[in-house]
Amino acid sequence: MLDKILNSKIWATLFKGYGFLFLGFLYLPLGLIFVYSFNANSINMAIWTEFTFDWYLTIFGGASSQSSFDAAFTESPDRIFEVVKHSVIVALSASTVSTVIGTATAIALARYHFVGKRFYQALLVLPMIVPDIVLGIALLIFFVGAGFKLSLLTIIIGHTTFLSSYVFVVVSARLAGMDTSLEQASADLGAGPITTFRRVTLPQIMPGVVGGFLLAFIISLDDVVITYFIAGVGSQTLPLFILAMMRRGLRPQINALAVLLLLFTFVIAAIGLYLRSRKS
Amino acid sequence: MSFLKIASAHKAYKTPEGGLIHALDDVSLDVRNNEFLTLLGPSGCGKTTLLKCIAGFEDIDSGEISFEEQSLKGVPAHRRPFNTVFQSYALFPHLSIANNVGYGLDVTGVAKGERNKRVEEALELVGLAGFGSREPKQLSGGQQQRVALARSLVLKPRVLLLDEPLSALDRKMRENMQIELKNLQHSVGITFVFVTHDQEEALAMSDRIAVVANGKVQQLAAPTEIYDEPANEFVANFVGTSNIFSGKVVAKDGALLTIETANQRQVLATSDRFGRGDHVELVLRPEHLKLAPSGNGIPESCIDGTVEASVFVGSDLHLHVDVGKGRTAIVHHRHNRGDDGERIEAGTSVKLYYSPNAAHLIKAIGR
Ligand SMILES: Nc1ncnc2c1ncn2[C@@H]1O[C@H](COP(=O)(O)OP(=O)(O)OP(=O)(O)O)[C@@H](O)[C@H]1O
Ligand SMILES: [Mg+2]
Repeated sequence: MLDKILNSKIWATLFKGYGFLFLGFLYLPLGLIFVYSFNANSINMAIWTEFTFDWYLTIFGGASSQSSFDAAFTESPDRIFEVVKHSVIVALSASTVSTVIGTATAIALARYHFVGKRFYQALLVLPMIVPDIVLGIALLIFFVGAGFKLSLLTIIIGHTTFLSSYVFVVVSARLAGMDTSLEQASADLGAGPITTFRRVTLPQIMPGVVGGFLLAFIISLDDVVITYFIAGVGSQTLPLFILAMMRRGLRPQINALAVLLLLFTFVIAAIGLYLRSRKS
Repeated sequence: MSFLKIASAHKAYKTPEGGLIHALDDVSLDVRNNEFLTLLGPSGCGKTTLLKCIAGFEDIDSGEISFEEQSLKGVPAHRRPFNTVFQSYALFPHLSIANNVGYGLDVTGVAKGERNKRVEEALELVGLAGFGSREPKQLSGGQQQRVALARSLVLKPRVLLLDEPLSALDRKMRENMQIELKNLQHSVGITFVFVTHDQEEALAMSDRIAVVANGKVQQLAAPTEIYDEPANEFVANFVGTSNIFSGKVVAKDGALLTIETANQRQVLATSDRFGRGDHVELVLRPEHLKLAPSGNGIPESCIDGTVEASVFVGSDLHLHVDVGKGRTAIVHHRHNRGDDGERIEAGTSVKLYYSPNAAHLIKAIGR
C-alpha cells in the first residue's frame, strides 16, 4: 500500500522537486552572485538594470562606460593586484611548506615505531578542530610575544601550522592503503632507503601529496578568520580585502571578484579530482 | 664450506596484551648450495618469519644466520645476495612489467643495453616474452606470479626465497607451476627456499623438506624419508595420513619386534632402534593396511576391526575401521575397475593385514 503510493508518479515528481529545491538552496546564492556580477546597477545591486562586463573590466584596470558608474564604488586595479599577489604568495608558500612537513610526518608515523606515537598522532589533528578564532588569537599572542612584526611571513607561518595537519591527514590515508611489501620488495631488489623512497614510496603516495597540497592551497587562499588576526599593515590578503570592501557597502565589483575567486578554486579542485581519478 | 646456515635462531614478537609469541624457537637449518629446500608447516608456525629473517626484513633476537661462513648480522636487506618472491607478489603498480623486472638492475646501475637484454631474457625464461609494456594489473594471477619470479631471477641471486608463491593460483595452474618451478630451479642452478603449508606441494617439489611447527624444525629430510620415517607424531600426522598406536615392545627377534598395544594384543614391526621394554608409537600409513593377507610367506600382523564408514574417492576406497577402545584406523583400499560388488558396508567385520616392514616406530614422548 505504502509502496504503491511512494512509487506513484506524483511522489516521484515531488521527490524530484524536493531534490531541485535542495540544490537550489545550495547553489542559488552562488548563482545570484554570478548573475549580479553582470548587473550594471551600481547603486542598488539587487535591482537589475542592464548587462555589463564593466565590473570585471575595472578589476583589470579597464574603464567603465556605464552611466551609473561611480569611481567611488570601485577599487583601483593596482590595489586589487597587490592583494591577489599577497594571497597567492601566502597560499603557495604555506601549502608548499605544509606539504613537505605534513608528508614527512605522515611517513614517519606510518613507518616507524616510537614512544608516544599515538599521542603525537592526536596532537597532529588537533589544529584542524581547534576553533579558527582561538587559533588566530593564539598565533597573534605568540607572534607578538616572540617579537615578530606582523607581515606576510607571519601569515605564512600561521597558515602552515594548521595546513600541515590537513596534508598529514590526506597523505596518511594514502599511506595506510599502500602495501608495505612494496618497500620490502624494493629493498630486496637492492635499493637503499633513499632510492626506495624516491622510486617506490613517493610515486605511490603522490596523488595524496598533490591532493594535500591543493587542499592546503584552497584553504589558505580563502582563510579569513586566522589571517585576520595575524595580517599586519600592508599584508592584506584577498579575502580580507573583500571583507573590508563589504564594510563600505555591497559593491558590484565584489561580485565580480567573488566569481573570479570561485572559478579559480573550481579549477584547482578540478585538477585535484582529475589527478585522483587518474591515479587510483 | 657451509652455504646458508641458520644456527639456534630465536625470534619473539610482543603481543598487544604484553605476552610473547615465539615465532622462531631455536631454529637450526643448513641450506645446501643448489638445493630446493621447502619449509613446510601449518599456518602461524613461523615460516614467513624465518624467510624474513633470512631476507633481512626482520632481525633475529639471538642465534646466527650466516652465508658462506660470513655472519649476516647487521647486513641490511638490500645488501644480501638473496631475493624474495612475495606471497602477494608485491609488483610495483606504477611500473610496467619490463620496468618491474628491470628494477633491481636499474637501482644497481647496470648499463641500459645489458639491462634490456637481461630483462628480455628473464621474461622469456618465465614464458612472458612480449608482455613487457603491460601494467601489472593487466595480468592474471599466474602471470603476475611469473613476473615476480622473473624480477628476482634477473638479478641472479645466490638464494631465492619464495613465500607461498602458488597459494593464490587455482589447482590446475598450481600443478603446472609446480613442475615449471622445479624445472626452472634445475636449469638456473639457484638455491630455492620455498615456503608452503601444502604437504603435497612440498613432497612433489623438494630436494629436502624442513617440517616446522611452533617455531621449531621438527624434521629436516628428503621427501621420501619424511613420509616413510616421520621423526615424531606431528610430522606423521601433518605429512600424509597416519594411524598411530601407542605400545610397548614385549619381544625382540632380530629386527622383528612384537609390540603390545592398548587395543590389540600383539602386533609386529621391524626396527633396529628399539629393544624390549621400550615405549613406542607405531605409525601405519593407510595404504599399507590390506584387507587380505599377501600370502607370500612373510609373517604379517593382523588387526581386527569393524567398518564404521566407507568413502569412495575414485582411485581408492577409504575405510574408517573401529579397532577397539574407540580408536579408528583409516584404510586406503585400492579401487580396481569393476569391483563394485566389493563395496563394504558399515558394520562389516574386517581383518587388517600389514607387513612389519611397512610399520614405522617412533619413540613415545614422555617415557
Ligand atoms: N609483526 C608481527 N607482530 C606480532 N606477531 C607476529 C608478527 N609477525 C608474525 N607474528 C606471529 O608470529 C607467528 C609466526 O608468524 P608467521 O607469519 O611466520 O607464520 P607463517 O608460518 O608464515 O604462517 P602462514 O602460513 O599463515 O603464513 C604467528 O603466531 C604470528 O601471529
Ligand atoms: Mg606466512
